[in-house]
Amino acid sequence: MDSVLVADDVAKSYGDAAALRGVSLSVSEGEVFALVGPNGAGKTTLVRCLTGTTTPDGGRVELLGEPPQDAQKQRLGLLPQSFSPPDRLTAAELVGYYAGLYADSRAPDAVLESVGLDPDDATRYGDLSGGQRRRACVAAALVNDPDVLFLDEPTTGVDPAGRHALWSVFEGLAADGTTIVLTTHDMAEASALADRVGLLADGDIAATGTPADLVAAHAGSPRLVVDTDADPELAGFDCTRTDAGLVFEGVDPTAVGEIAAALDDADVAFDALSWREPSLEDAYLALAGDAERGEVVQ
Amino acid sequence: MSAAGRVRAEATGAMRTFLRRRTAVFFTFFFPVVLIVIFAGLVRTQGGSSAGLFSQPTGYYLPAYLATVVLFTPLSRVGSEVARYRADNRFEKLATTPLSRAEWLAAHALVNVVLIVLAAAVLVVALLLTGANFTVSPWLAFFVPAASVLFCGIGAILGSLADGQDGAIAASNGIALPLLFLSETFVQPALFPAWFRPLLNASPLVYFARGVRAATFTGGDGVVFNAGVVLVLAVVAFGVGAALIPWTE
Repeated sequence: MDSVLVADDVAKSYGDAAALRGVSLSVSEGEVFALVGPNGAGKTTLVRCLTGTTTPDGGRVELLGEPPQDAQKQRLGLLPQSFSPPDRLTAAELVGYYAGLYADSRAPDAVLESVGLDPDDATRYGDLSGGQRRRACVAAALVNDPDVLFLDEPTTGVDPAGRHALWSVFEGLAADGTTIVLTTHDMAEASALADRVGLLADGDIAATGTPADLVAAHAGSPRLVVDTDADPELAGFDCTRTDAGLVFEGVDPTAVGEIAAALDDADVAFDALSWREPSLEDAYLALAGDAERGEVVQ
Repeated sequence: MSAAGRVRAEATGAMRTFLRRRTAVFFTFFFPVVLIVIFAGLVRTQGGSSAGLFSQPTGYYLPAYLATVVLFTPLSRVGSEVARYRADNRFEKLATTPLSRAEWLAAHALVNVVLIVLAAAVLVVALLLTGANFTVSPWLAFFVPAASVLFCGIGAILGSLADGQDGAIAASNGIALPLLFLSETFVQPALFPAWFRPLLNASPLVYFARGVRAATFTGGDGVVFNAGVVLVLAVVAFGVGAALIPWTE
């Protein structure tokens, strides 16, 4: 697939503080790319470089085959971080206002309905709930039916139900071929939505890959945690004593019963067993920790 | 969407937002009325001396009363709007739409012109009700909008250079108040020391005051020249204001 977005060795500093240190990435047409990383890692600065709302000190960005400042605005959508639109307008007026800025736009009512808002609701933006506000902002970003959509922390402050509703909207857009670049602190969001994830740490991409690849490479193995004070030696099983209890690494779910039986045979009393598959969050924590220690993994 | 369509969309949103701020609406129209009540109603023309404060007939001060709306409203409104748009990341969003900086400022200048023309009309009618003697000149239809655009441009410059909304409002007040009294409006040039009088020409408001006074009170001399200066200053201030708007980081 063709790349609609390319960043090559992008650097940006604010005074003596380097926000980006030579970031390179490419996003293909129709792909959902999630940028994750700790606070201050440079995610928002990178989004600004990619959208042309700030100019990098070095490197090159191409958006839809052009420098971002020259890219066709009709084909772009952006939901900035900490975005607060005029609060005295209703959601319908707000979306209508942004629709009026484009030569070609979707019907504001249909866009509002697509994000689960009532177009006839006369409540002003400032009086909407946090989740409704975020939906209205997402609607404003969708009103020109963009080919490339940038969402900077789109679900921050949204409750779980609202978050899932917005995910459905993003999944629908992705299914229709919209290229999406999103930043998030929510690893479940990145796992659910992204075709590929890029971990940005300390101004550089520490790792990129599909969520499954990152989990397989960096998240460790499935583990069983036994909530007990005992520290037995079980034949055939390696375990580690931690504050959380006994931890069995690399345990297949089918082996849980055997371990429970072995604990029983050894007269080990326990309050609970919990088995957990490694997740993107584990990969994130491992990679972010590596990056912090300077052990960047590409 | 054409440039006119984009300006209309931005102006419509801005006007709706303004009209729903009841306090702002009230004081935009209440402020000039209060001034007239105080100065034209209570203080009144002092008479006798030609050199004292308020020694001239009320009609002489028409430019001063108009200046209060032409100067304060756009300076503080546009200045604070620029600061607010930047703080709320609205410019970041707009930079990825087809709207340009100049179109944004044109839209907000248009909103201000509408509000100021309405406020100026209220003011003129109120002054006429006090028995003030002046001509309702068609030149007012040029000077009031042109000066509004001029001070919208300066407001945009202040809002762009200020580090926040509070700073923009403080800067606009800090500039507007001295200008109001140093521009041949309420204070006659004769009351200033001789060495200071040439400096009055540095105030952009002075050309508005001279032009309006010539058109409405003292006769037609100087109207065209002062209108030309106001027009040139309005174009320059608008251009510089638009260029400085913090559209991108």
